[in-house]
Amino acid sequence: MDNRQDSPIRLAAIGMDQRQRNALRMLFDSKCHNRYVLMEEESSEICILDLDAFGGERLWQEFRQRNPERPLILVSLKPCKLTDSHTLFVQKPIPVAQLISAINQHAQALDRAIIPEDCEPQLKADDQPPANQQKTHASTPKLDTHKVATLMTKAQEKTFIGTSPDIDPDDNAQLAKIYYNPEHYLQGHMQQALNHAKRYNKNVAIEGPWPAIDLIIEHQRVLVDAGERQLRPYCTMPDATLEVDLQINDHIKPTTGRREYSLYAFVWQLALWASRGRLPAGTSLTQPIYLRRWPNFSRLVVTPYALSITALWTKHPRSLIDTAVSLNIPQRYVFAFYSATNAVQLAGETRRAVDTFIAPPGVERSSNRGLFSRLLNTLRGHKDES
Amino acid sequence: MSDFKIIFSGPVGAGKTTAITTISDIAPVSTDELATDMTRSRKNGTTVAMDYGLIKLQDNEQIHLYGTPGQERFDFMWEILTQGGIGLVLLISNQRPDPFRDLHFFLNAFKEFIAQGKVVVGVTQMDLASTPMIEDYHLQLENSGVKIPVFDIDARDKKDISILLEALLYSLDPCLDE
Repeated sequence: MDNRQDSPIRLAAIGMDQRQRNALRMLFDSKCHNRYVLMEEESSEICILDLDAFGGERLWQEFRQRNPERPLILVSLKPCKLTDSHTLFVQKPIPVAQLISAINQHAQALDRAIIPEDCEPQLKADDQPPANQQKTHASTPKLDTHKVATLMTKAQEKTFIGTSPDIDPDDNAQLAKIYYNPEHYLQGHMQQALNHAKRYNKNVAIEGPWPAIDLIIEHQRVLVDAGERQLRPYCTMPDATLEVDLQINDHIKPTTGRREYSLYAFVWQLALWASRGRLPAGTSLTQPIYLRRWPNFSRLVVTPYALSITALWTKHPRSLIDTAVSLNIPQRYVFAFYSATNAVQLAGETRRAVDTFIAPPGVERSSNRGLFSRLLNTLRGHKDES
Repeated sequence: MSDFKIIFSGPVGAGKTTAITTISDIAPVSTDELATDMTRSRKNGTTVAMDYGLIKLQDNEQIHLYGTPGQERFDFMWEILTQGGIGLVLLISNQRPDPFRDLHFFLNAFKEFIAQGKVVVGVTQMDLASTPMIEDYHLQLENSGVKIPVFDIDARDKKDISILLEALLYSLDPCLDE
């Protein structure tokens, strides 16, 4: 048996610092069955040179002067023109298979045993960084932030969603109970103010019986003279007779002592307060609903099943009733979420004939559902902690 | 007992190490060392090979968290790290000179995850740079063929990282609550 042929192939890394060498070592040690070993250039058989290193081109020329025929693998983000038959090129990001293929090509020319190119490039889940590379990472101090996703408590759920039971869509008496008119609530006045602000590209003050509210269109912010507790009664009680003045206003009261909200999150919250598990008047229960994109949940009040409904609607438009049935959840959660997403103009009824022509596909079940559910429960535990 | 992994990726200084530290149930191990080159201006420590953390579930099940190296020249590690992953958490810093270039660079590098809807995007440091806005990121993603969750996050906040991971799980299976 030829011992030289079976011994590890000696490689050198040129133009790479210690960190890059560590990464290569990690690849060779854990994924290439120790068939490759990283050495200094003098003792190596094949070299890998990073052309993107400082002075990479010069390093390449100097290497060729020192070693006119030594096998070389160049790596770079940009394509490179090769000038001799002893040099191969692999473009970054480097596919592991291509790197191994290049090494094998050189190894064959050197009459060395090669390893199969399908040598497991996958890092198993239980692999950890080599011990000599590990060091404990000090935990980062956690800073306070009020701008975080808020998953509802049971009490909040009653406030935002209500407790209405499911309805029979064919029963007109029950149907009448699931609708509300946003125009009779602060939500409607706020949406009207937003339309004004967008049309004229000006700030708008919403003047009514409530604490002063200013919409700052340029920064997509809302300034309010009160907290949520003072504001909420005006958001939950309908008043069709109320006279509201929308003032185009370039002069905004100073921000001192005022509450500042993101415009998007403010409208979202007003819609949830007004809706309480109901739908804007005229919403069809059977027309498929589209969702333009995922809401920025990290900065919103997250209603129960909101992520689940979002995932469903972003895959395929689906009616409100079908959504509740597909997810096996009470209708009020679907209605509340639709009201909020509709208020911020993320969701609406589809108008295309094709969306009602073919029934939406069934919901695919992941083979890892059990694991995902357990991870989900753990993550929710995390949120309760913080 | 099954072990699975979630990958955290993104450019230098986007918060990958911080995010793993925030959500991990163990003191994360890291190959961080002081940056000595071009990355020094962005952050003091830059990840060498990878970060590693763990979320422990019941019955000894574990979810492994891997952070890819932030430097483009270590890209070959990505392929090793990502194979067999549940999904990808892509973190983009809004403070970088061209966040959209970063976004497209990483989405291109992880095409297979995108095609399978196994990716979520967390935009960090929006408190320091308010533009581009989240809506702008969605516009950039319009041609990807899938609607990808994009959230404004603080990598130091466990709730923010949790909601990002939850969105990833629901993207993979909307009926998880059944």
